Amino acid sequence: MNNFWLIAKHEYKRIVFRRAFLLITLAVPLGFAALIGLIAFIKESEKSEPLPIGYVDYTGLIEHSRYPVSDEGMTPIIEFGDETAALDALHREEIQALFILPDTYPAAPQTELYYLENPPGGSAWRDFNFFISLNLLTPYPEAVRHRLIEGGIITVHDVVSGREFSENGTINIVFPFIASFIFFASTMMASGYMIEIVADEKENRMLEMMLTAVSPGQLIGGKAIGLLAATLTQLTAHILILAVGLFIATPYIPTLQQLIIPWDYIGVMALFFLPAYALITAIMIAVSGVFPDSEQAQQIAGILNLLFILPLFSVVLIFENSGSPLVIFLSLFPTTAFLTISLRWGVGTVPLWQIGSSWLILITKTGLMLWMAVKLFRVGMLRYGQRLTLKGALTALRN
Amino acid sequence: MNTVNVSHLAKRFGDVQAVADVSFAVEPGEIFGMLGPNGAGKTTTIRMMMDIFRPDAGEIAVFGGQLDLAKKRRIGYLPEERGLYKDQKLEPTLIYLATLKGMDEKIARQRLSGWLERFDLTEYRQKKVQELSKGMQQKAQIIATLLHDPDLIVIDEPFSGLDPINARLVKKIFEEQRDAGKAIIMSTHQMYQVEALCNRIVLIDNGRSVLYGLVNEIKRNFAGNAITLEGEGDFDAIPGVLEQRKHNGAWHMALELGADPQAIFRHLGRQNGTRIERFELAEPSLDDIFVNVVSGKVQT
Repeated sequence: MNNFWLIAKHEYKRIVFRRAFLLITLAVPLGFAALIGLIAFIKESEKSEPLPIGYVDYTGLIEHSRYPVSDEGMTPIIEFGDETAALDALHREEIQALFILPDTYPAAPQTELYYLENPPGGSAWRDFNFFISLNLLTPYPEAVRHRLIEGGIITVHDVVSGREFSENGTINIVFPFIASFIFFASTMMASGYMIEIVADEKENRMLEMMLTAVSPGQLIGGKAIGLLAATLTQLTAHILILAVGLFIATPYIPTLQQLIIPWDYIGVMALFFLPAYALITAIMIAVSGVFPDSEQAQQIAGILNLLFILPLFSVVLIFENSGSPLVIFLSLFPTTAFLTISLRWGVGTVPLWQIGSSWLILITKTGLMLWMAVKLFRVGMLRYGQRLTLKGALTALRN
Repeated sequence: MNTVNVSHLAKRFGDVQAVADVSFAVEPGEIFGMLGPNGAGKTTTIRMMMDIFRPDAGEIAVFGGQLDLAKKRRIGYLPEERGLYKDQKLEPTLIYLATLKGMDEKIARQRLSGWLERFDLTEYRQKKVQELSKGMQQKAQIIATLLHDPDLIVIDEPFSGLDPINARLVKKIFEEQRDAGKAIIMSTHQMYQVEALCNRIVLIDNGRSVLYGLVNEIKRNFAGNAITLEGEGDFDAIPGVLEQRKHNGAWHMALELGADPQAIFRHLGRQNGTRIERFELAEPSLDDIFVNVVSGKVQT
């Protein structure tokens, strides 16, 4: 096997079989999934036949038969002829609440509500409102009645991209935000690992020996690929666990049922992920080559990571005006492009020319950074305990 | 064909001329000593040989030409700044390093068993490197250098951290490798090891090779620059004596350049209370030669 791939394979195994890696990859998302499963289980097991709502109608407008009692999950509603019987039922806890509709209703909109300790739960109240609406809207045509009861559904069509945004599909707006954080967390973790990997080589004093077997480019490239494979393994595990979680939770969370997998978004993010990852990796390699130990390198890396997470501080601006000049700038700037475009995707469209330009700029910058990183690494790698000065770095880049 | 040919190497780092003019050759089937004070340019020279640095001037030929991947695989290199992956187990680490040198994993595993047994590390093969003592780690590093059966072995301070028993073992292994036709370049400050093992040496000082050739010849050339003396009396501050030390009851004195041993003998004879039992011209030790040359008391 070619040395490059030997190093990649070795590095992959070294990372993936670490306890900390296994913990973050499996235990954390499984823990979340177990928590969601537990909540869903508790919710399911707590489901019991709700206590009925009682009502006394003095208006004469309410027809009890209009209520769709056969619909699953609807709160039963009982009509009482008089208040005394109804209040007795309430005290006996045969009903959870009692509505009294006075004869002035609905001209005077007030009604009376009686309950023992707690007012009726959200679905019970909603079901009773629905029942009253069904009765009061009887004179109207069915289509109007339906529209008034169900409410309007607003769908926004983007004439440029053809995308649709609907209040029923809120999850499709939130999804890119969640995906951004997942992708980004993986990349940031990878940057920390990269510093550790290079620092390890320096601190273990292995570099000089290794360089009689491999070139600096092969060594650091192999390690970066090994790390990338580990990052993708972690991402895949997280995505699989998320998919399983969605599959389990969707029947219990109606919002999730509106989710449509945004394949175009995933395609664009896949296009940006590798160059963005390579850019972060290259920067970390350069930092590790310049600074003599991992502590110093991590400190500098922490500052440089801000260049990548800048879009997170601009989320409000992206949300309110995703086409503003600053947001466009962030979409084109190499370190912020990945996250900005991902966040923009949730709330709007990103013009094709911006995606294309951003990607080309990112690729170019990444290539340049990789070239610089290997040079700085080559010169700085044998400076045990010594920092590479600015002059030394510039000389290394010139040579 | 020489295994290594180094001709008029030079290398500068900023304002520092690390190597000014170094030349030597190393033949197959010999142990070649590379000596020099700290900061002389030995490590830089070795790194240029290993293609870690490019020389500013001069030529290097390893196995007859420029180093490529195939040739690098024939080299076993143990630098002065060395180590192993501390958080990894010994056996997989050594096999990994051997496979990077192009060795088949199965063969590496078989050979490794033999080496571990020889260095008494068999029971530690599944231990993490950080769990081994410094001496054990040193031995493991030597195994890493030899495991892939290199034709050229370059080791900086091979005996560092080794107890006398293991130092003797390493010495024996070097002799075996030499007898098997391998070329060994050994950089060390332990002169007695150089005298015991090396056929030829190069002494580098201030980036230049100042002494080069067969050890015996060099010592013969410097004979007359030292005397061995046994007796009683005051042997301090003898004119013409550069340095003196007592060993096993005898005084070993290194002489200044131009000092006449006969004049010293006559001086001692004139001193009251001095009794000479033995006075002979000594072949200087490499240690003495090193000190003389590097301190500038002797021109080469």
